[in-house]
Amino acid sequence: MPLLFPQEDASDVRRRYKPDVIKGDMDSIRREVLDFYTSLGTEIVDKSHDQDTTDLHKCVTYIRDFAPGLDKSDLCILVAGALGGRFDHEMGNLNVICHFSSLRIVLLSDDSLIYLLPRTHRHEIHIQTSVEGPHCGLIPIGMPSRSSTTTGLQWDLNNTEMKFGGLISTSNIVTGEKVTVQSDSDLLWTISIKKL
Amino acid sequence: MDLMHHSSSFLLPTIPPDPHHCPSLTYALVLLNQSLPRFTPLLWKHGQLRLCADGGANRLYDEMPLLFPLEDASDVRCRYKPDVIKGDMDSIRTEVLDFYMSLGTKIIDKSHDQDTTDLHKCVTYIRDVAPNLDKSNLCILVAGALGGRFDHEMGNLNVICRFSSLRIVLLSDDSLIHLLPRTHRHEIHIQTSVEGPHCGLIPLGMPSRSSTTTGLQWDLNNTEMRFGGLISTSNIVTGDKVTVQSDSDLLWTISIKKL
Repeated sequence: MPLLFPQEDASDVRRRYKPDVIKGDMDSIRREVLDFYTSLGTEIVDKSHDQDTTDLHKCVTYIRDFAPGLDKSDLCILVAGALGGRFDHEMGNLNVICHFSSLRIVLLSDDSLIYLLPRTHRHEIHIQTSVEGPHCGLIPIGMPSRSSTTTGLQWDLNNTEMKFGGLISTSNIVTGEKVTVQSDSDLLWTISIKKL
Repeated sequence: MDLMHHSSSFLLPTIPPDPHHCPSLTYALVLLNQSLPRFTPLLWKHGQLRLCADGGANRLYDEMPLLFPLEDASDVRCRYKPDVIKGDMDSIRTEVLDFYMSLGTKIIDKSHDQDTTDLHKCVTYIRDVAPNLDKSNLCILVAGALGGRFDHEMGNLNVICRFSSLRIVLLSDDSLIHLLPRTHRHEIHIQTSVEGPHCGLIPLGMPSRSSTTTGLQWDLNNTEMRFGGLISTSNIVTGDKVTVQSDSDLLWTISIKKL
C-alpha cells in the first residue's frame, strides 16, 4: 500500500489502511506484519487447524456468518488478488464463488473482474464504460450450458450451447451500456478493466 | 483402458532417456503475449519448432535479452529467432515483425479469421501444416497462456480441452497445466527437482462422478468432483509418481519450483 502513495510516509499509509480482520491459516503472514496489525487493534482469526477450506472460503464465511455491525441484506464481497500466481489457487478461488452462488462475490485483478451469474435469475449488467470493457466473456465453468441467450454483445448468444471443449464466449465485446444474460447453467461473467 | 505417461522432463537441462521405454517426444514451443517465464530459454532448447502467436513476438523481442543481461541484445534476438509467427497480427509491433521477417521467420497472417484464438491457430498449424516435424509423439509447450486477461486464459484452457488428443502443456512461472483425458489411465512422473509439491486436479468443463488417485497427500477414491463442490486444489505430491483415473477429463496442475 505505501508503494501506491510514494509521496507519503509509509508508516502513515499503513496506519490509514488498517484491516478490521486478518483471517486464515496463518502460514504466510510475516511475524512483524502480524505484530504490527495486532498492535493497531486488528482482529486476528487464526484458522490454522482448518486445512479443508481455502483462505478465501474462510473469509467469505466470516463475512456472511460472523461480522458484526454489517448490513448483510445487500452484501457484495470484493476480492483482490484472486487471480495470477499458482493456478490451483486461482481455481480454488473460482470454486469459492461457485460454491457461494447466492452471494455477490467479485474477483478483481489489474486486468479483469469476474463474478457468477447464477442460473436462477435473468441478469442485467450495466457497463461502466469509463472503467471497464470492451473485452468480455461468458464461461460455463464446471458444467456445460445447453442454452444461453444474451443481448448487448458483439457476438450475442441465441439459445446457444456452450461447453469447455466446444464453444465458450471469450474475446467478446460489449457494444453499449447494457448486457443481458439468461442461461440454464451458472456462468462466469468477465470483463476487462481499463488501464487508468 | 490404455495407460498414458506424463513427465515434465522438458523442465530439465537435458532430457533423460525414458525409463518406461516410451518413444521420445518431439517438442514444439508456442509463445503467447504474456511475460516470458524465466525458463523460456530451456523450453526453446528442447523445441524443434518455435512459434510466436502474434504479440508473443513482442515478448520474445523485448524480454529474451533481459534473461541474458550480460550479452548484446541484438545477438540474443538473432539467436532466439522463431520459425513462425502466426495469428491475427493485431498486437505485434511493426518493427518486431520487420526484424523477424528480415531474419527469415515465416509470417502467417490470419487476420481474417476471428473465430479462433491465436493459440488455437498455432496448434492447428503445428498439427496440420508444419513440415519436417515428427508428429507421431508430439508435445506442444505453451508459454504465456496464464495471467493477463481472464477471458484469454479461459480461451487458452479451452484450446487444451478441444484438442484433447494432443499433448499440450500450458506454462507460467508458477505452474504447469495439462489435460488428463478420460480415455486413459494416467501415470505422472514427478520431476521433484523442478516441480511440486503443490498440485491439483480440476474438473473444468464437466463434473466428475468418480476420480481415483495414488501419490497425493489427499488422494481421491472414487470421489465425486465438481465446481461448486469439491475440487482438488492445494494438494501435495507425496513421492515421484502420481496415478489418476477418472470418468471425466481433468486438468492436472503442479507448481514449478523457483530456480
